[in-house]
Amino acid sequence: MAAPVFQPAMMPLGSGSDRMAAGAARMTDAILEFTRWPVEKTLVHLCVVGVADHAGQLDEISLSNGARVQVSRLPDPAAATQCDALYIGRMAALDNRRLLTAVRGAAVVTIAEADADCRSGAMFCLLFTPQALNFQLNIDAVSRSSVRIDPRVLRLSKGGY
Amino acid sequence: MTRPAAPLMPTLRHILARVHTRLILFAVLMAGVTLIAAGVLIMRDYAERNLALVARTASYTIEPALLFDDMAAAQDGIAMVANGQGVRLVEVRDNQGRLMTRWIRPDAGAMARLEATAEKLLWPSPVTEPVRHGRDIIARLTVHGDAGAIGRYLLSGVVIALACLGLTVIATQILARRLQKDVTGPLAQIADVAHAVRVDRRFDMRVPGADIAEVDQLARDFNALLDELQQWHAGLLSENRQLEHQATRDPLTGLGNRAMFERQLAASVEAAEQTGQGFAIIYADVNRFKQVNDGHGHDAGDVMLIVIAARLRAALRNGDLAFRLGGDEFALILASDTTREVVEALAARIDTGMEQPIMLPSGQSIQSSLSLGWALYPQDSADPRDLLRHADAAMYAAKGRRHATTD
Repeated sequence: MAAPVFQPAMMPLGSGSDRMAAGAARMTDAILEFTRWPVEKTLVHLCVVGVADHAGQLDEISLSNGARVQVSRLPDPAAATQCDALYIGRMAALDNRRLLTAVRGAAVVTIAEADADCRSGAMFCLLFTPQALNFQLNIDAVSRSSVRIDPRVLRLSKGGY
Repeated sequence: MTRPAAPLMPTLRHILARVHTRLILFAVLMAGVTLIAAGVLIMRDYAERNLALVARTASYTIEPALLFDDMAAAQDGIAMVANGQGVRLVEVRDNQGRLMTRWIRPDAGAMARLEATAEKLLWPSPVTEPVRHGRDIIARLTVHGDAGAIGRYLLSGVVIALACLGLTVIATQILARRLQKDVTGPLAQIADVAHAVRVDRRFDMRVPGADIAEVDQLARDFNALLDELQQWHAGLLSENRQLEHQATRDPLTGLGNRAMFERQLAASVEAAEQTGQGFAIIYADVNRFKQVNDGHGHDAGDVMLIVIAARLRAALRNGDLAFRLGGDEFALILASDTTREVVEALAARIDTGMEQPIMLPSGQSIQSSLSLGWALYPQDSADPRDLLRHADAAMYAAKGRRHATTD
C-alpha cells in the first residue's frame, strides 16, 4: 500500500556512544508530547516490541504535562491494545503486520524503529543518519488511529501542509 | 486716470493675499501635523498589537519544531507567520538566553540600519513572547517591528501636505483676485472719481454701487457728498455770474457800465489788431438833462435815461454794443468793419430816433436830444486813450454847435 509519506524532520544527534538511544528517546518524547489520547492519560504505557536497538533510554522520558511514562516489554502482540504507545523494533514481517492490524483504529500511537521506507503501517518511522535523527509520518496510519497527533507536527515536514 | 504712485505702501490685495496665505498655511500645517501625528500613534498602536499577535502565533507555530529540535522547521514556521506582517526581525532564545534561531525580513537591505533606528524610536523595546509547552517555557521569542509602513505613511503624509500647500497657493490667488474684484475694485473706482472731481472738477461723476454692504454704503455716501458738492459748486457759479453782472451792468438801464466799456474797448482793440479790421466808438451826451432832472424830478430823469438807452439799443446793429458811462453819458462801440459814412449814417439814425417826445410819469412829454461825437479805429487813432479823447472832443464840439444853433 502506497501511504503518503512526508519528508523527514531533522533532529541533530549529540555525541557519545549512546547518542542514537538518546536521540530515539528524545524523538519518542517529542512524539508523545504531541499525541492526544481519547482519554487523558496520567500514566502512559509505552510498550517495546521486537528487537529494538535504540530503546535503551526510553525509560528516561518524562512528559511536560506531568504524565508518567511506564516502559515495558510486550511479550504477546495480542495484548498490544493495552498499550498506549508501541515502540516497534525489528520483527518478522508477518508478526509486524499482525501487530499493526491489531492496533489499527485503537488509541495506540505506533513508532517504528527499523522501517526506513515506512511501509509497515506504523504512524511514525524513525530514520537514523550519522548526524541526525529524522522521522517520517504515515498520514494514512495517523488518520486511521483514534489518537490525535497535533497537526503542527505535520508542518514540521518541509514542503508539508 | 493716473493716481500718484505710492510704491512703498502695500496694496489691499497684497495684504489680503498675505493674510490668506498665512491663514491657510497655518490651517494646513495644523491639520497636517495633527493628522500625521494621530495617524502615526494609531498605526503604532495597531502595529504593536500586530507584533504581539505575530509573536503569539509564531510561538505557537514553532513549539513542535523546538521540541523536535528542528531549527530549519522553526525558521520556516516563523517566516510563514511573520513575512509581510510588518516584522523586521524575530529571534528565538532558549531559557539560558542562547540564540536558537533567528529570522530577518529577506528584503531588509540598505535601509535596514535607518529602519532599525526608526523602529527604536517607535518601539523602544521589542515584543517578547514565551514559547510554552504545557506548563513549561521552552524558549523565548522576540519580535522587532518594521518601521517601513509607518515610514511610508509619513512620506505620503508629507506629500499630501505639500500638495495641500500647492492648492493653498492657488486658492489664495483666487481668493485675493475675488476680494480685489469685490473690495478693492469699488474702492479704486471711488478713488478714481475723487481724483477726477479734484483735478478736473467733474462734479457730475458718480461711483457705481458695490456688492459688499460696507463698500456700497461708502459709495452711496460718497455720491451723496458729490451731490452736495455739485449743488454748492453750481450755486457758487451762479453767484459769481450774478456778481459779475452786478459789477459790469448799469442797474437802471441794463446797459454795460464804464468798467465793462473799458474791458470791451480793450477786447475790440485786440480783435482789430488780430483781424486788421477797424471799429468805431460813439460818445453820446444827453442835452439839457440837468434841466429835466431839476424841473421834473429824478424819476423823470431816470425815465428819460431808460428811454434813451432803449432807443440807442434799438438803433444799433447786430454786434454793436451800448454802455452808460455814468450820469447822462453813453458810449457805443460799433462792431468792426465800419467806415466813416456808416458811422455818420448811424448817428443820423440815432438823432432821428430821439425826435420822438418822451412820456414822463407825470403825464408830460418832453423832447430830448443827444450830442454825439465819434472816432474811428485805427483811422483817428490807434491808441485807445487817444481814441477816447478824440471822440470826447468831437462830442463837445457837437454840443457846442448845438448850443450855438439853439441859443
